[in-house]
Amino acid sequence: MLAVFLQLVVSGVATGMLYALVALSMTVGYRATTVVNFGHGDMVMAGAYAVFVFVGSGLPFAPALLLGLVVLFLFGLGTQRVLMRPIIAGPHLSLAMMALAIGYAVRGGARLEWGSEVTTLQRPYAQDAWMVGPVVFTTDDLVIATFVILLLLVLFLVFNVTPVGRLIRAVFQSQRGAALVGIDVHAFHGVMWGAGAALGAAGGVLLALIVPLSPDMGVWTLLRGFAAMTLGGFGSLHGAVIGGLILGVMEKLLGFYLSTVFIDITAYLITILVLLIRPSGLFGRQAAVRV
Amino acid sequence: MPEDLLPNQLLTARGLEAGYPGKQILFGVDLAVAPAEVVVLLGANGSGKSTALNTLSGFVRPWAGSIRFEGAEIAGRPPHRIFRRGIVQVSQARDLFPDLTVEDNLRLGAWARGGAVDALAEDVFRSFPRLAERRRQMVRLMSGGEQQMVAIGRALMGRPKLLLLDEPSGGLAPVFVKEIAAIIAELKRRAIAMVIVEQNIKLALSIADRFLILRDGRVTQRQDIRAGAADEQDIVRSIYL
Repeated sequence: MLAVFLQLVVSGVATGMLYALVALSMTVGYRATTVVNFGHGDMVMAGAYAVFVFVGSGLPFAPALLLGLVVLFLFGLGTQRVLMRPIIAGPHLSLAMMALAIGYAVRGGARLEWGSEVTTLQRPYAQDAWMVGPVVFTTDDLVIATFVILLLLVLFLVFNVTPVGRLIRAVFQSQRGAALVGIDVHAFHGVMWGAGAALGAAGGVLLALIVPLSPDMGVWTLLRGFAAMTLGGFGSLHGAVIGGLILGVMEKLLGFYLSTVFIDITAYLITILVLLIRPSGLFGRQAAVRV
Repeated sequence: MPEDLLPNQLLTARGLEAGYPGKQILFGVDLAVAPAEVVVLLGANGSGKSTALNTLSGFVRPWAGSIRFEGAEIAGRPPHRIFRRGIVQVSQARDLFPDLTVEDNLRLGAWARGGAVDALAEDVFRSFPRLAERRRQMVRLMSGGEQQMVAIGRALMGRPKLLLLDEPSGGLAPVFVKEIAAIIAELKRRAIAMVIVEQNIKLALSIADRFLILRDGRVTQRQDIRAGAADEQDIVRSIYL
């Protein structure tokens, strides 16, 4: 029994890492702009497909991955610049709807090309598995964990130690204050929106290691990223990570011990329960999320 | 020719019209500031003082008119560009970074304009000993007067050629009003040009070289008070009656 429990926790942590990365990439965009990117799931999907296309065109995996991240960075930057900036002074809701619309457009484009086929991203390594005591670890688990932990370390350093991080926190706390010290807030939003998209794309590529590619994978992803953010506390970086891990483990445990239905609805349940009981989440200070 | 349209000014604004959608606030405001000069804008609530200041700093786009600063046209340029030319504003709401320390707030003030940041910060701490004691404190946890000091200090970190102060004494306890007044007087001695919006007429007149009275978005009176003190009662009457 213990072995089963441990195994569930291990695979829950592995998928939780992915949720953490997605939640983290949403948090980056949210912190910079205070707008929740409801199209973010589709950036995750687009990143996976971009790398899929580059690999298909004959590029080795590493350069294809890098190129995919660059493309998504530019896409995020470009859409923010062209579609969000003109309405940035408008109500938050219009911005959220615009983000959603951009996501839909991307998904529509992907459906045109890959709507009817199931594709997979070939792993650039051989899948293997090890027994550690009673628990099985796969190469996928290790690759995902290593990659996400490295990214987390880099992000935490950037946010908390470097001058860039101080700048990001400053703009998050007061956009008008940032403009008062000569920061080009619009350009900053664009860069952060792009960085969020690129990070999301990295999440998409890792996700594609364990699930097939589909134009609709963004819906699934957005929901889990959103639940992880809500649980951790909106805007909190470590909250996003811990929220993602808890969500991943809960899905597996509830799915096994109660009913497989829970694999799909745990994210909804967590979102609803947190908003009802503790809207600020585990580590958030601001209670309300403005849409 | 009014004195503020003479050449050799640091800043010359002419025929400024500005407002918000559906509501015009400024109707052709002329304003000039000579190097090292302190100009005070007086007027009742809603007369357009803050809008005038925000138009100079770029937060409000003028509908018409020109603003020349050191010979370059800056009307309608975004706030960060205007800041980089040396026009630095302390806004009415202060707009500090509440969850950063005093020192981080100050350092960010120098971010876009460069300079010897450490020396600038030490200079601010000398002018505001109260901030030096609290340099590691979150700004959120400070009193209104202390926050105003951080706001002015942060502006000084940007090495302003022209400092725009929006209600520097607004909402402060009397002891802080005195301190802020002393600081502004010190900045004047350092020959920093300033445009100040201020409700406290006594304070305003004690530091002004000239004042303008705005009424419904138009300049109704302008006076140089370097030669002799203005009559406070007269001014109050022309603002409110």
